[in-house]
Amino acid sequence: MAEVVKELTRKEKEIRELIRAEIPWEPVGPTPMPEIADLRSWDMRLLKTYKPWYAPFCDLCCLCTYGKCDLSQGRRGACGLDIATQQARIILLACLMGCSAHAAHGGHILEHLIEKYGADKKIDMGTYIELEAPNIRTVTGLKPETLGDLKTVIEYVYKEITHLLDSTHFGQEGSYLDYESKALHASMLDHVGMEVADIAQIVGFNFPTSVADTPLVDMGWASVDESKPVILLVGHNPATSTTIIDYLRENDLYDKVEVAGICCTALETTRYSDRAKIVGPLSRQLFYVRTGIADVIVTDEQCIRTDMPIEADNVDSRVIATLDKAMYGLEDATDWDTEEIVKQMVEDKKHFAILNTKKAAEVAAKVALKIAPQRKKRWITEEEAIELAKKCTNCGICERVCPNLINIGDGITELAKGSFDLIKEQFNQCIGCGKCEQECPNKVPIFKIMQVAASKETWKIRAGRGPVMDTEIRNVGAPITLGTIPGVLAFVGCSNYPDIDDVADMVYEFARRKYIVTLTGCAAMAAGMKKFENGKTVYELFPPEFDAGGVLNVGSCVSNAHISGAAIKIANIFAALPLRANYEVMADYVFNRVGACGVAWGAMSQKAASIGTGFNRLGIPVLLGPHSSKYRRLYLSRKEEDDWTVMDARKREIVDSGEPSPEHLAYVCETKEKAMVMIPKLCIRKNDTPQGRSIKLNHYISLYKKYMGGGLPEDVHLFIRRDADIPLVYKKEVRAYLKEIDWQPKEPVGLPTLIGTYPTKVPLDAVIH
Amino acid sequence: MAVVPFHRVNVLTGIKASRIIEDPVQCADLILKARRPLLVLGAKLIEWSVDGKLALEYALDIARAARIPACGTAHVKGKMVELGVSPDSVYDVVEIVNALKDPDWRGVKKEGNHDLVIFLGVRSDLEEQCLSVLKHFAYKHLRTMTLDKYYFPHANYSLPNFKKDEQWGGFLEELMANLRKER
Ligand code: SF4
Ligand code: SF4
Ligand code: SF4
Repeated sequence: MAEVVKELTRKEKEIRELIRAEIPWEPVGPTPMPEIADLRSWDMRLLKTYKPWYAPFCDLCCLCTYGKCDLSQGRRGACGLDIATQQARIILLACLMGCSAHAAHGGHILEHLIEKYGADKKIDMGTYIELEAPNIRTVTGLKPETLGDLKTVIEYVYKEITHLLDSTHFGQEGSYLDYESKALHASMLDHVGMEVADIAQIVGFNFPTSVADTPLVDMGWASVDESKPVILLVGHNPATSTTIIDYLRENDLYDKVEVAGICCTALETTRYSDRAKIVGPLSRQLFYVRTGIADVIVTDEQCIRTDMPIEADNVDSRVIATLDKAMYGLEDATDWDTEEIVKQMVEDKKHFAILNTKKAAEVAAKVALKIAPQRKKRWITEEEAIELAKKCTNCGICERVCPNLINIGDGITELAKGSFDLIKEQFNQCIGCGKCEQECPNKVPIFKIMQVAASKETWKIRAGRGPVMDTEIRNVGAPITLGTIPGVLAFVGCSNYPDIDDVADMVYEFARRKYIVTLTGCAAMAAGMKKFENGKTVYELFPPEFDAGGVLNVGSCVSNAHISGAAIKIANIFAALPLRANYEVMADYVFNRVGACGVAWGAMSQKAASIGTGFNRLGIPVLLGPHSSKYRRLYLSRKEEDDWTVMDARKREIVDSGEPSPEHLAYVCETKEKAMVMIPKLCIRKNDTPQGRSIKLNHYISLYKKYMGGGLPEDVHLFIRRDADIPLVYKKEVRAYLKEIDWQPKEPVGLPTLIGTYPTKVPLDAVIH
Repeated sequence: MAVVPFHRVNVLTGIKASRIIEDPVQCADLILKARRPLLVLGAKLIEWSVDGKLALEYALDIARAARIPACGTAHVKGKMVELGVSPDSVYDVVEIVNALKDPDWRGVKKEGNHDLVIFLGVRSDLEEQCLSVLKHFAYKHLRTMTLDKYYFPHANYSLPNFKKDEQWGGFLEELMANLRKER
């Protein structure tokens, strides 16, 4: 026993050294560089109210050769595992994939930049950002000052990933709750890894920081000048894309070559050069690649199609794979002579892996310039489309394989008769998976035909601005926690939408209602792909500040860390609670007092799973679109039955608030209309003042009336503590309803916290500021 | 019923599949045998129509014919109100499934949990996942059925894939007639 204690002390000492605990910028909190079990009791407290809801895809487990094991109807596998625990294990694996994708991205960028500038390069986030790394400081306890410090942080993340992954091996963990706690841990680490990646990018590539009104940049395939050679960047990692811009600038070629991107690399590249073009989100990848407009396709990592060389061959484009994560079986030409690579790509139409960014950039530019004049690039005409569409027999096979339930055969049949309306509508719903074309028995070139359905408009999107400034937090901390700014929304994640217009519609609705709307990744792009009054997008219509009614493109996927970071900043800068190694206190504050809600309407990837689950551990609910039921796990409460007790830290008393706020932590909505009603509800917090609550309820009730056919929300009484909470416009109606159900007023909770309601090392005084 | 291979552990793939109900009489019997059935209505009912009749109207007719309480999910309630009907309960589909999972839940009528839940018109990916929740976590106290025009393997009872919407509409009409007759 004594030895164990000694070993822990040594470990603690080691951690204190790593985080330079002796520098007293803040006292070191209870959990510096936490390991798997360190925040487990916080997780268990959340999971007590927000129980996992599992929707297995399959009855079986086939992860080892003892199986396949049938886990239905209470059966256990040969290892003893039950169906719930198997689902939780899959969730943990998904969150680990997501976390490792961002951590490895951060690690790669760091290596690239340390090579270029050295490990001592200082982190400077500009005049208005002193709290440079809220996630890193909160989780690890380290205040990172250099790129080298970021390396210390990422190595901690790598280590935790190893331990977490270990737990998914045959045998071992047998509790779904513990697997969920591990998934929450992995996902918290994801926000740390994302923060490392984006701070490194900002410092190393001079991306915008300490600024709100970043340039408006062009988006849409029509913004790409096809008459020039086109380099298309696909993926997430800007190491090569920024080097390509450098190469073109240095060689006076930037006017002669178009650089365009899909998915997050596109967003990153516009943070580097506002002349780069954004083609669109992930869901447009296959569509655009199949147009053949790109001369050279440069891939890096994460959400890239795995058949890129095959697709490129079909349209005579060339591929350069620039990261070891995705080499497609291509020959590794990293050490070859540049001219030889160019020659083989031009003459022999070969694709290569080139893992040196400078060489990859030079080759991409040279090959594009050489092959572009020889390639025929154009969109098909309406007449050609009609001709091609005549092959369709409307057999209906395509509808059966479409994950978004589209009957594209109907659209094609209409088009063959000269009517384009339906296919245009369907193009907005298409997520670009390509399954329809693959299965079509009549070989109808559906994607080619869709070229005439694709809008030739261009849109404006604001280049990603990076972190929310400390000065902005000082201004909005009070109205957010009082509730008078009705909520902070984070539209994040991929483009697996029921309809691509949904995101823009939601952003528009809530920005008008003076919510703060932040966006990242594909959601940030989709939000800009619709025009409202005067032909303007949400980025042109609303101010870019982190303030009521602002619409902010924070940046790419890794910029999600700035949204969780903003929530932490409210607790630290506004409420003056110490954050250093103090995760539980930060999460408890956010959970009870910051009316934030994530909206991952098209979440698809494993990264989206870890981003969302990371928000959840920090106490931020996430609303998902219908496809996300395929993640197979939600965190739902049952408002009438569950435990809504909190500690009133002012009175030092545990009270039953009876108020389901926030009602769920991970929630799926079937339709945009219902999402519009749920979002304001998920922004309600126990800390709201009467004025703040009445503003929040005003939005909840008015959106309910708009989308649910009038009347009052069935649960509105649960959110009314006293008469003063009732919005003025609905006073009469609500009072009559409350009377009818014999509602009784209750005391608002003075200083709500979960600390003190579950076993934790954190003393109650730690949450009183 | 899906065929289960002989050497299950080594060969079994996929899922235990639902029983296909092709006969409206049998379908009506199953519904009427239930003590406390519940009808869950999804947003597709507002989009679909058969022979000019909105799918939601079919659903409401069934509810009326068999006197089954209806739960409106998503924003279905708006359309129901327009048609002059108020739902017996309003939940999102993941919420009603979450409640149904609990054997001690008192049901939408507060008379005890339901023993049969019938889904209609939830978009298919979400509906199949919801059926899976109930198949795995409510199999001891609840049977599930879908009256959609597609086959749902995770249910206990499902209609087949109908080639034409009219065939589906015809099935629902006959089902209603049988429900009324046997009542
Ligand atoms: S891991 Fe367990 S449940 Fe899965 S196949 Fe192996 S023995 Fe069966
Ligand atoms: S599968 Fe092909 S032929 Fe059949 S409806 Fe779809 S596009 Fe037409
Ligand atoms: S490419 Fe679009 S229309 Fe075709 S199956 Fe995929 S989502 Fe459906």
